[in-house]
Parts: sequence; C-alpha cells; structure tokens
Amino acid sequence: MSLFLIAALPFLGAVFPALLIRAGRNASASAAGLTTFLAFTGLMLHIPAVFNGEVVQARFDWLPGLGLNANFFLDGLGFLFATLILGIGLLIILYARFYLSREDPMGQFYTYLLLFQGAMVGIVLSDNILLLLVFWELTSLSSFLLIGYWKHLPEGRQGARMALAVTGSGGLAMIAGMLILGHIVGSYDLSVILQNKDLIQASPLYLPALILILLGCFTKSAQFPFHFWLPHAMAAPTPVSAYLHSATMVKAGLFLMARLWPVLAGTPEWFYIVATTGLITMLLGAVIALFKDDLKALLAFSTVSHLGLITMLLGFGTKIAAVAAVFHIINHATFKAALFMSAGIVDHEAHTRDIKRLGGLRHLMPVTFTIVLVASLSMAGIPPFNGFLSKEMMLEETVHTLWGGSHYLVPGLALIAALFSAAYSFRFIVHVFLGPKRSDYPAQPHDPGPGMWLGPAFLITLVILIGLFSAKLAGPMVAVAAGAVTGGNDLPYYSLKLWHGLTPALYMSIAAVLGGALLLKLHRPLQAAWEAAPRPEAKAIFDRLMHGLTKLAQLITDGLHNGAITRYAFVMMLFIIGISYYAYQGGTLAAATREVQNVGPIPLIAWFCLVIATGAVVAKHRQRQLSLVLIGVVGLVVSMGFNYLSAPDLALTQLSVEVVTMVLLLLALNFMPKESPIKAPNWVRARDGAIAVIGGLGASALIYALMLRDFAMPSISEYHLANSYKGGGGTNVVNVILVDFRGYDTFGEIIVLGIAALVIFALTEAVLGTRVRAYLLNRKPDMPQAGDAHPMMMVVATRVMMPLALMVAAYIFFRGHNLPGGGFIAGLIAAIALLMQYMASGFTWASERQRVFYHGIIGSGVLIAAATGLGAWFNDMPFLTSDYGYLYWPPLEKFEWATAALFDLGVFLAVVGAVLLALESLARFAWQPGMSTEHAMDINPARDDAPQQNSDEV
Amino acid sequence: MIQADLSVILPEIILAVYAMAALLLAVYTGKDKLAAVLVWSTAGLMAALGIWIGTNGGGTQEAFGGMFIDDGFARFAKVAILLSAAAVLLMGLEYMARRNMLRFEFPLLVALSAVGMMMMVSAGDLMALYMGLELQSLALYVIASMRRDSVKSTEAGLKYFVLGALSSGLLLYGASLVYGFAGTTKFAGIIQVAQHGEVSIGLLFGLVFLISGLAFKVSAVPFHMWTPDVYQGAPTPVTAFFASAPKMAAMGLFARVMHDAFGNAIGDWSQVVAVLSLLSMFVGAVAAIGQRDIKRLMAYSSIAHMGYALMGLASGTQMGVEAMLVYMAIYVSMNIGTFAFILMLQKDGQPITSIDALHQYSRREPGKALAMLVLLFSLAGVPPMLGFFGKLYVLRAAYEAGLAWLAIAGVVASVIGAFYYLRIVYYMYFGDEGEDLDRSNSPILWVFLMGSAAVMVFGIINMFGVDSAAAAAAAALVR
Repeated sequence: MSLFLIAALPFLGAVFPALLIRAGRNASASAAGLTTFLAFTGLMLHIPAVFNGEVVQARFDWLPGLGLNANFFLDGLGFLFATLILGIGLLIILYARFYLSREDPMGQFYTYLLLFQGAMVGIVLSDNILLLLVFWELTSLSSFLLIGYWKHLPEGRQGARMALAVTGSGGLAMIAGMLILGHIVGSYDLSVILQNKDLIQASPLYLPALILILLGCFTKSAQFPFHFWLPHAMAAPTPVSAYLHSATMVKAGLFLMARLWPVLAGTPEWFYIVATTGLITMLLGAVIALFKDDLKALLAFSTVSHLGLITMLLGFGTKIAAVAAVFHIINHATFKAALFMSAGIVDHEAHTRDIKRLGGLRHLMPVTFTIVLVASLSMAGIPPFNGFLSKEMMLEETVHTLWGGSHYLVPGLALIAALFSAAYSFRFIVHVFLGPKRSDYPAQPHDPGPGMWLGPAFLITLVILIGLFSAKLAGPMVAVAAGAVTGGNDLPYYSLKLWHGLTPALYMSIAAVLGGALLLKLHRPLQAAWEAAPRPEAKAIFDRLMHGLTKLAQLITDGLHNGAITRYAFVMMLFIIGISYYAYQGGTLAAATREVQNVGPIPLIAWFCLVIATGAVVAKHRQRQLSLVLIGVVGLVVSMGFNYLSAPDLALTQLSVEVVTMVLLLLALNFMPKESPIKAPNWVRARDGAIAVIGGLGASALIYALMLRDFAMPSISEYHLANSYKGGGGTNVVNVILVDFRGYDTFGEIIVLGIAALVIFALTEAVLGTRVRAYLLNRKPDMPQAGDAHPMMMVVATRVMMPLALMVAAYIFFRGHNLPGGGFIAGLIAAIALLMQYMASGFTWASERQRVFYHGIIGSGVLIAAATGLGAWFNDMPFLTSDYGYLYWPPLEKFEWATAALFDLGVFLAVVGAVLLALESLARFAWQPGMSTEHAMDINPARDDAPQQNSDEV
Repeated sequence: MIQADLSVILPEIILAVYAMAALLLAVYTGKDKLAAVLVWSTAGLMAALGIWIGTNGGGTQEAFGGMFIDDGFARFAKVAILLSAAAVLLMGLEYMARRNMLRFEFPLLVALSAVGMMMMVSAGDLMALYMGLELQSLALYVIASMRRDSVKSTEAGLKYFVLGALSSGLLLYGASLVYGFAGTTKFAGIIQVAQHGEVSIGLLFGLVFLISGLAFKVSAVPFHMWTPDVYQGAPTPVTAFFASAPKMAAMGLFARVMHDAFGNAIGDWSQVVAVLSLLSMFVGAVAAIGQRDIKRLMAYSSIAHMGYALMGLASGTQMGVEAMLVYMAIYVSMNIGTFAFILMLQKDGQPITSIDALHQYSRREPGKALAMLVLLFSLAGVPPMLGFFGKLYVLRAAYEAGLAWLAIAGVVASVIGAFYYLRIVYYMYFGDEGEDLDRSNSPILWVFLMGSAAVMVFGIINMFGVDSAAAAAAAALVR
C-alpha cells in the first residue's frame, strides 16, 4: 500500500466516527478500528522490503517554492514506530469502546483519536523536515483536544492548556532549528540531510540548530525541565493517557532524536546536553513516581523516567547504546500501555485511582492482577520479562560511560534511578493488589469484560514472549530499526538474551531489585519525609511564569500606550533621531562645493530677532495673547528674510497670509482660556525639550550641509528666467509661473480654496443648527471684556484705510505680471481691507452692508479663470494656453495685454471670496447679541451709549 | 499617448468616477436610505474590478512617463486590496445598519481609499506615491472617526490624524531630500543614483524618513501607537477594514519604494526594516497578552503580523518579497474571518468585545467555535494551518538572506504570541461559565467566517495558486 495512503487513512477515517455515532457506539468504534486496521495491514505489507533493508519511498512535490515536499519514506525506524502507533492504536480503540461511558460523546473521541494517530504516523513516515514539523504540531493540537476531552474536569482543561503551551512552543522553536538544518544542507529532505553528517557538524550553526531542535524534542518527550506538563495531562480519559504516553506522543521526541541521530549525535555537545538531560529526567521521574498516590500520576512519572532513560541512551552517542534505546522503546511501549490500561480498569471498576484507598484487589480482580503483575515486574527489570533485557543493556552501557572524567557518576545515578524504578513498580503490585481486602472501596471492584482486558492481555503476552525469545521475536526488528538509527547495517555485536554471565550490569540489576524492595518497605517514613521536604513545584513555577509574563505585558502596554498623544510622539521622535543617526553613520558626504557667504549686520540682527522671538514663543506659550504677538514677529522677520533673499513675491504673499492668519488666531483666542495649564512635570518637559533641540539641530545641520553643495539636478530657475518673457509675456517669473506655465495647478488650487471655504461655511451652518448654537450664545467670557468693543479710533482708521488698501490691491494686481505682485497677493490685501471693517465695526454692521454674497465671488472667480482657459480653444490652442499682445492707446504709452491677467482676475476673486467666507463663517461662532452698537458708523462723541455690558464687574 | 495612459489606469478611473458619481447621486436623492444599496454596489464593483485585474493583463506597462506602473506586483496587491475591501464592506453592512451607523459616505470613502491604495502599489514616482498615500489616508482619517457621537472614536480618530499628519510630513521631508540628492522623483532615476556603498548622506536621510513615514502606515513599532486606539475606538466594521486592505496597500508600497527606488542599496535599508520588524513582532506579541478587549488584541496582533511581513521585506531578496506577499495574502484572509466572528458577538443587541464573554463559547455554537479555533491557530502560526506556511515563508526568506538572528527572534516572538491566541481558544473550549450571547444568524458573516476557516485548512493543499502568483509578482518587482 502506498505510504501516502497509510498516512492519509487515519485522517480520512477521522470523518466516520463522528458521522456514524448516530448509528450507535459500536458502529463508531468499528469505523475507527477498521481504518486503523487497514492502515496497519498496509504497513505490514511492507515487511519484506523493510526487513531486507530497503527504504520504501513515496514522493510528491507540494510547495516546492518553500522546500516543502510531501515525501514519505519507510525504513526500519519508521516501521517500528508506525507499527507501535497503529498496533497499540487498535488495542486502544477496542479498550476505549468499553471504557467510555454513555455520557461521553464517543464519536468526537474517535475523531480526535484518529486525527492524532494520523499526525503521529505522519511524523514517523515524513521524509521532509518541514512536513515533519507540520505533523509535529498537529499532534500538539489533536492531543490538546484529547487531553481536554473531559471538559467538566477543571484539571483536564488546565492540563490540556499546559500541554499545548509547552509542546506547541517547543515545536515552534523547532521550526527555527529545522530551517537552520535545512539551510546548512541545502535541502529539507531527511534522506539528503542524513547523508551530510560532516557538513552539519562542521557548521558554526550546528549548536543553535541542535539546541532549537532539542527544545522541540525535550518539550514533547517531557524531559527535564519540561517534564511537568505530562503528569498534568493525566486528567485525560485513561485510553488517551495510555495511547499518548506509552507509545505515541511522548515518543515523538525520542523518534526525532533517533531519526537525526546519525547527523547530530557523536559530538560532545550532543552528549552533554542529551545524556545529562536524560539522566536527570530518569532519576527525577523515578523518585517522584514513588511518592505519588494517584495511580496514573505514578505511571506518568514513571513514563517521564523511562523517557529519560531512552534519551540518555541516545545521548551516549554509541551504536550499542542506540540499539539498547530502540529495544527499550519497544519494551516500554508494551508494558507501559498494559499498565495504563490496567490502571484505567482499576479506576473504572473501583471508582478510584488513589493507592491509599486501594489494596487487596488480588482476589477481586484476578485477571487484572495477572496483567499488572507481569507488566510491573517487567518495568522493574525482573527476568524473564522484556524490561529486564533492555534495562540490563542500559546499565551495561552506563558502566562504560565517562561523564566529565568520572567513571562512577553515570552508573551510580542510573543505579539509583533503577532502584527507585523497581520500588515504584513493586508498589503498584503490593499496595494495590496485595494485602488484606478492604471494606471501603468506593465501588465493588471486579474484573471487567473481555473488551477491556483483551488489549492489555495481548500486550503482556508480548512482554513475556519477547523476554523469553528475544533474539527470534524482537531481534530482526531491533536490528533494522537500530540500523536505521545508526545509519548503516554495520551494527556492533550484541546479543539479546537473558543470561550474559556475571557482568557488572547483572550485579547492578540485582542491587536495584533488592534496593527497590527495601525502599518499598520503608515507604511510609520516606513518604512522610518527602511530604515534609521543600521542593520546587514545577506547575507553580509555570503558573508564576505565565502570571509574570502577563504582568510584564501590562507594564509595557501601560508604559507605551497611556493614551497621551505626547507619549506617542515622544516615542516616534526618539526612534527617528535614532535612525537618523544610523543614516548619518552610513552615508557618504562629498566635499563642500560652495563657500559660506558673509552675513551683513542687518540680516544678523533680523536673525537674532527671529531666534529670540521663536524662543520666547516656546517659553511663553502659556500666555496666549503674548505668544500671538511673538508669532507675528516671527512671521514678519521671515517675510523680510524672503525679501532679503530676492523673493519679493514670496515676501508679499507671506506678509498678507500672516495678517489673515493672525486675524483667524485672534478669533480663535476668543474661545479659549487666556493661559494654558502646565500638565507635564518638569523632567518630562526637559526631556521633550532636549529631544526637540536634538531634532532641530540635526535638521539644521542637514540643511546646512545641503546648501554647501550643488544640487543633484540642474536648477529649473534658468529655464523659467529665460522663457518667462518669451513664453508668458511677463518679467515677473513667479507670476508667470502661477498664471501661465503652471496655470493648470493654479486653476486647481483656486477651486480647492473655494471648496475649502464652502466646506467651512457648510460646517458652520451645520454646527450652528444644533444645540451648540444655544451654548455659544449664552456663554460667559472668562474675563471681563473691553468696555468698548469698537473703539472710535480704530473705526475711523479702517474707514480711511479701506479705499487706500483697495487701491494698493489694484496696483499690486496690475503690476503683477511684470513686477512683484499678482492676483493672489492682491486678493489677500483686498480681503484684509474688508476684514478690517468686520473687526472694527463688528460683524453685524459689516454684514448689513454686504451686498454680494461671497459664494458668488468665489464662483465668479473660478468661472472667469475657466473662461480664460477655454478661450484658448477658440484659437485652436490647448486649454489655458495664454496669449498676449500690445495695445497702443494714443495719449498713453503702449499697453501690454495678456489673457493671463484675466486669469489672474479669477484668482483674485476666488481668494477674496474664499478668505472672507471662511473668516466670516468662523466669526459667526463668536457672535453674541448685543456685542456691537447700533451706530458704529456714526462717530458722535456726544452720544454715550457704547456697550458697557460688563462694566459693573470691572 | 494620453489614451494609452488612461487605458492603463482604467480600473482606478472607473472606481474613482463611480465613487464621486455615487456621492453626488446620494446627496441629491436618498442619502442614508441609499446606503445599503451603495454598499452592495461598491462591493460588487470592487470585486469585479479585482477579478478583472486578476485575470487580465500581463507584463509591465507604464503610464504618465513612468509615474504609474502596472506590473505583476501591482496587480497582485490590487487584487488582494479590492477583494478584501469588498468582503469587509459586506461584512459590516448588517452591523452598521442595525446600530444606525450606516452612512452613505462609508462605502464611498472605502472606495476612494481603495483608489488611493491602488495608486500606492502602482506608484513609480515619489509624487504618485504621495498622491496615493494621501488619498488613502484622508479617507481613512474620516472613516476612523465615523462614530462621531462616541468620545473614544473621535479621540482615536483625532490622534490618528495628528500622528498621521506628522508621519506624512516626515515622508514628504524624506521625499524632498531624496529629490534634492537624486535629482529626480522617479524611482527609475533614483535607483541609478542610490548605489550601495556610495549613497550620499542626504539620500540616506531621505530614505530613513521615507521609511518612517511608510512604517506609520503599516503600523510598525514604534510608529504603531495609533493602532490600538483606533482599532478599539472605531466601529468594528471599520476596524476590520483597517486591518485588511490598507495594510496590504502600505506593505505593497513599502516594497515598491524599497525595491524600485532603492533596490541597489539594499544593505542600507534592510537593517532599518529588520529593526522595525523585530520591534513589531515583540511589542505586538508581548503587549497583546495583557489585553482583554478582542479588538485591541487584534490591533496588537496586526502589529505583530506586520513585523513578520516586514521580515520578508527586510530580506531584500526576491524570495523575501514573495514571502511578504504570501504572508499578507494569508493575513488578510485570516483577518476577514476573525472579524466576521467578532462582528457576530453581541448580547442583547449590543456589540461585545471583551474576551471574557467567550467562555464556553464552543458549547453554545460549536460550529463557529471550531472555525474560530482554526483561525486562531492560523493566526498563531501553528501548523498545519495556512498561517504557519506564511510564517515559514518569511522565516526562510530572512534566514537565507543572512538574517538568522531575525528569523530566530521571529520564532521566539511567535512562541510568545501563540500564548494569547491559545488563551482565547482555551476560553472558548474550557472556560468557566460563559455569558449567553445572542445567536447571530447573519448569513453573510457566517459565509465569511466559515469560508476563511476553510481557506486556512484547505489552502495548505496548494495555497490556491497564491504562492506561484506571488512568485511571479515578486519577480516583476525585484529585477
């Protein structure tokens, strides 16, 4: 049968139990059993090939771009594991059918179980490490579902969560290890990787890869210090424990270590990491197991201990140790699965797993007793059972092992572990089955039906047979599997038999058994001592770690995201300064090509004014009116600077824009408190100030450097200077650019400007249509207002100024094409002239005298500009092409006329309309009844009815 | 000439004209009464355009003198943008309608921002880049503060706007420096000047400021601060939108600028991007642990995911871009499903966003819980879900580009990140007594949730060809 099919069958079969559960529990179980059996049979068909030393392959390119191929291969090691997984799977399916009660959703159970089984089979058959990773994590997921299957038990949920957190994280760490491994070799196919031992071990990345991969293996196989999750996963239904923890999930880590043994093993790093971890785990697990009263906890820690044993053997890195490891994998699977199932039977029939409440079951459950007796003795390492054989091989190996120069460390500790191992094995027999019958069992214990004991009975038959006829029965299997682990058929000599003569291992075995019996005798005082001794509780540490992580997370979150935008900006700026420094470090800087020019005294004074005013704004920004004045100074100096640097147009624009902005800001101040409060503590302000200074200095330095060097591109000024008069008929290049060369842009801009003003108007309308209006009308100023809102001097001045200002606007407008000026600036000036009237005489007065709506002015401006542009079409020219000519008007000099002037008129109107509409709209927010006099226009000192609304408060 | 140009940007023109025409129509007729119709028509149009772009066109075409590029890369990104935007629009329809939040501007703003996004991924010039970016951003600013009556929403929108303006300023400053030192705004011209090892200091400053501006748009740490606030404050459909199409567009733009304009100076930016990636992955993973609000949690999750996508970009290789595109495509599909789920959560008609409400969810709605489980595992990057393959792609790309430290850090971050995704699973399956949430029976949401979950499971078969499309797209970008 194709390997694809073998790997896929459990997944395909996973659908049926859930569907068939309506047809009854038997149908569901049979469906699960049948698929497993089919896969098992398919696997068995490969026996001839595998035992001939061939490697069965099935290849399929899945995502070649990623190096992920669905390649499977079957060699001795894969065959051994697949047989264990599917074979024990069959027994578990049978067992679970009778173990689970009516209330348990059995269909779900079998679905999860088959998913898990499929993932495990996938792991052991994968020929691609990425594919292996996929299956690896899939086992974490499906085991999560299985362990948490009994949702009503809180331990089950916690156990499931912890198992998933530990094994899942380990698997993720392994991803990195696998990537490194694949990259060293240049292929992600195991069959290729396994050929490249020297390449891998010579790589500088060998150690990181090793550590990351081992993290995955150790978490999965519950090796110290990750051993704590396994006992907590025992809350699962017993069939799950039996399956996951005897033959499958926890063995996945061992499998991977064995699989990669040919390329990773043999280095001192491997030995010290793997063998030491295995040794510690073996010892620790055995000691803890003895003091557990829960049958399943005892078995769980014994599993931890045995996994440690196998890990240690693999860690030794010798071929003979690898043989022992493989053999113990087989033996452990058989007796441990039998023991778990028996523990389940006890629990099922006696309704408790607490050893303290059991005892004397020998006569009540003879069949179970027989099974447990054989399996436990095998676990304890008593001949003639199979556990004895592999344990003796292990002890034999430890004798030859040097650890850090010491001959005795490894065998000594291994002996102690074996001693405890024997002790807890005996305890299972003695404290549960021997002794007097009790009268207080929670339920009357009796042997279950054959459905439940057939499975374990089959397994203990194997235990006995392998023990007696090891060379015949297990020999070939061990040979091919070990051959696959060690990567060759040249295995050293070993013999699987009970009697090897009087070897040190035999003495150690005898010592272990006797010592174990002694320990059991002393169990009661030892238990008391154990309870009293302080010891780190791994679960508590795990919980505290999780809690700590959460706290840390909250700390970071609260620190970074306190909701204040200043904090956000602070972090951003800091980072920007950081990467700017990086840029400064990395870039090249050509030599300066320009001289630093001399600065005259007047510009220097202006510059000082600018700096002082700017500094004063920062220092005094809490007094808003003052800072407004200072901002005005800054704007003025900047305008003068433009003028000094030969940009009169810019200067004019800046100046008029400055004025309009000031008016707007004054308006805004109306609504605000006169001073802003200090919120940040001093050190924060100092820190922010420092950042601002650094950022500012950096930016200035950058500009300075930029100005000392030539631009990378030819300046576009020359082109415009050369073509301004020829092409646009004007000598003011700026204006020609605005109305001619870049007429399209300007056209777009005035439209945008108009729309912006209209939007402000619309928003004002909308806001004033709500309750806000009432609030605005009734608001009380926080300070007494000036007695005379419209001082006479100002009214007179503005009246006089208005015609003058309009005249200036006209002048600026008309000279614009050839000299500094133009429609935009003229528009601003005209707008300012009108604004002054609003300011001086009040909103009411001004609007009463308003004849034309600003909307119309904006619209007419845009339309005039558009019409000018369209005019070009009549001359068969593209849109907005300008034209100019000269007009001779006898008494006067010759005139230049240009269509651009008409366009400029459009700009002028749009600007006037937009500025006024926007400011008028905003001013309406501030308007309150009774603010302006009825007679603002009449200047009559005799009449004394200026508004004095707040005079009594002054 | 102009005709040829226009035919290249026809999809953008269609969408833009549609949006403006529909806006006018709605203003003068039914206003919000038309909203539902507009949602459907906008989603339909965007999906149709997506399919059209995806199936038509080949090779590389340039318009407006190279300012607009239509190549495989742009098409890949546009398909993802349009389809995800359409999906998210439909998902939010019922939610917004029920809460009286459905304004007719919403679908049209989404359409306009989609136009901006399409422009972004096709930009061949700094000007075009900024135009697209601002068109998208302005629409997003408005959408972010759509719920005007909620203080939280407006505050979040305002913060987003202020910080966004700051980042736009940075980007512009960077662009002007680049122009000053390269003498051109065209990517094709910049790449001639920006040769690794001899990049002038001004150009490098321009580059890092550009990166800062772009990092804000992809919400990479430390420019991510707005994300949790906006995600939490905005109505859930808006959050869903923020988490999908704009991310794809910003990532596409990022890759476009880095490779098209600075493809000869990879060493100069790859480190910066790598640092952004590292910070994003860790801050995203760690900060999410403390969150109890699922929308805020998704914000951190998206920050972490952007870190992974940036990891692909940081590699600076074709494989890296391919990985990034695959990652983003997977990320967007995951997010659609996840937000469909979040949109379903409500109690007595009120939306629920606390993850405490999910206790024992599986008992009440086993189907949806299972779908969400798949999605969460996928978000965590746990095999065999599709999310794992995305991670594997970027990790491999980074590793093979010599950024082993980044790849390993990415794995560590994903281990941390797995924690909070799994916690939700834990609550749903094994939590304490849960609240009784309303049973949502919106078929649209159900379809998107189940569809997205199914994609995560069945996508592993051949990724629906996205991997080869991404490979072609990456080949078009990295030359």
